[in-house]
Amino acid sequence: MDIHFEKVEVRFEGRTVIHPLDLTISGRRIGIIGLNGSGKTTLARMINGLVKPSAGRVTVNGFDTVEKQDEARGQSGFIFQNPQNQIILPLLREDIALGLKSRKLPKQEVTAAVDAILHRFGISHLGDRRAHELSGGELQLAALASVLVTEPKILVMDEPTNQLDLKNRNLVERTIHTLPEDVIVISHDLDLVAGLDRVLLVHEGRIAADGEPGEVIGQYRAMHEGKD
Amino acid sequence: MRSLHIDGDSVLHRLPAGVKLATLSVISLALFMIGNPAFLAGAALVGLAGHTLLRISAAEIWRRMRPFALIVVVVALFTAVFNGTTEGLIALFRLAALALFASLVTATTTTGDFIDVITRAAMPLERLGILKARDVGLSIGLVIRFVPEILSRYEVIRDAHYARGLKPRPVSLIVPLIITTLRSADEIAAAIDARGIRRQK
Repeated sequence: MDIHFEKVEVRFEGRTVIHPLDLTISGRRIGIIGLNGSGKTTLARMINGLVKPSAGRVTVNGFDTVEKQDEARGQSGFIFQNPQNQIILPLLREDIALGLKSRKLPKQEVTAAVDAILHRFGISHLGDRRAHELSGGELQLAALASVLVTEPKILVMDEPTNQLDLKNRNLVERTIHTLPEDVIVISHDLDLVAGLDRVLLVHEGRIAADGEPGEVIGQYRAMHEGKD
Repeated sequence: MRSLHIDGDSVLHRLPAGVKLATLSVISLALFMIGNPAFLAGAALVGLAGHTLLRISAAEIWRRMRPFALIVVVVALFTAVFNGTTEGLIALFRLAALALFASLVTATTTTGDFIDVITRAAMPLERLGILKARDVGLSIGLVIRFVPEILSRYEVIRDAHYARGLKPRPVSLIVPLIITTLRSADEIAAAIDARGIRRQK
């Protein structure tokens, strides 16, 4: 992946959420950690163009997220904190097909791609089930399938293990580590990000640390553990 | 999320969505052109009998129709008060028949099929450059998807009142219902954008 934040700043209602930032994200698996409200999700949402910078620009694999929004979104998929909100149509198979149909692909191609992605995540048996019938882990896999069916090169995941029990958390962790796509994971789950290649620590809208997971997580713990 | 669709393999399930929607349109027009209460009552009974194809219990049929029942009864009562009993009965049976037939279509048609058929129907308007057919299909599909969701949210908010020993009141129900629904709509809209379902070009 090749993501550039160039002099990016984000302000909401007079408050600066992301302070002027120059950042390059490359590599295979990147983690983003930080306290609630530190700006992690805003940073990640800019990659998909869901948040537009108030100043500066963000490019994803060369595409500006504002000027070339469709192309930039084609490069990256986004998994939301609550996968329930990611699933737009009740039936899983129909929901996964939705992203492909908007590309006006032939019906046979859509069906084949949906079958293939369900098979890839081992959830073929869930294709005709409704989202509200799925467990937390199944929902995360369904959300992954619905995003990856359009073959983005980069996957951004916002709190993918949030609210999952241990079994489903481990399932999601295993899945993340075996994904061939480049991955950016925003998480409070420090064990999850410890297994990634590089971690960014976001603090009060700034990058407070950037480097090898062990070091950055250590710095994060030192900043906050034992402090009220 | 709940769904209005019911799994099954009935004749209605197998009919193409376009045929069902076209038939519903014709039936709806016919119901509004006919002013015979006995005939309209018969139509409502046919709509009700059609639900046996879905193999669902009477309680489930009532659960599906309950939100409309109040509206139908209120409209029929007002019509009866201002226009007489016969007109009231006509309104009652007409709207009941309409709701029952519409329920049959939504129960046997998936949201995806609704989106596809409405998108196809709107294609001539897209060719004229008036709108994007896929957006129209998606909008109507989302309305159908949100109807049961809003009911679920209403039940959660009502139960939260009971859990705190509070009596549900219209204002204390409607305000949080609107807020949570709008918030959810924002999140769904973001998901649609993030997944490139509604492309800019």
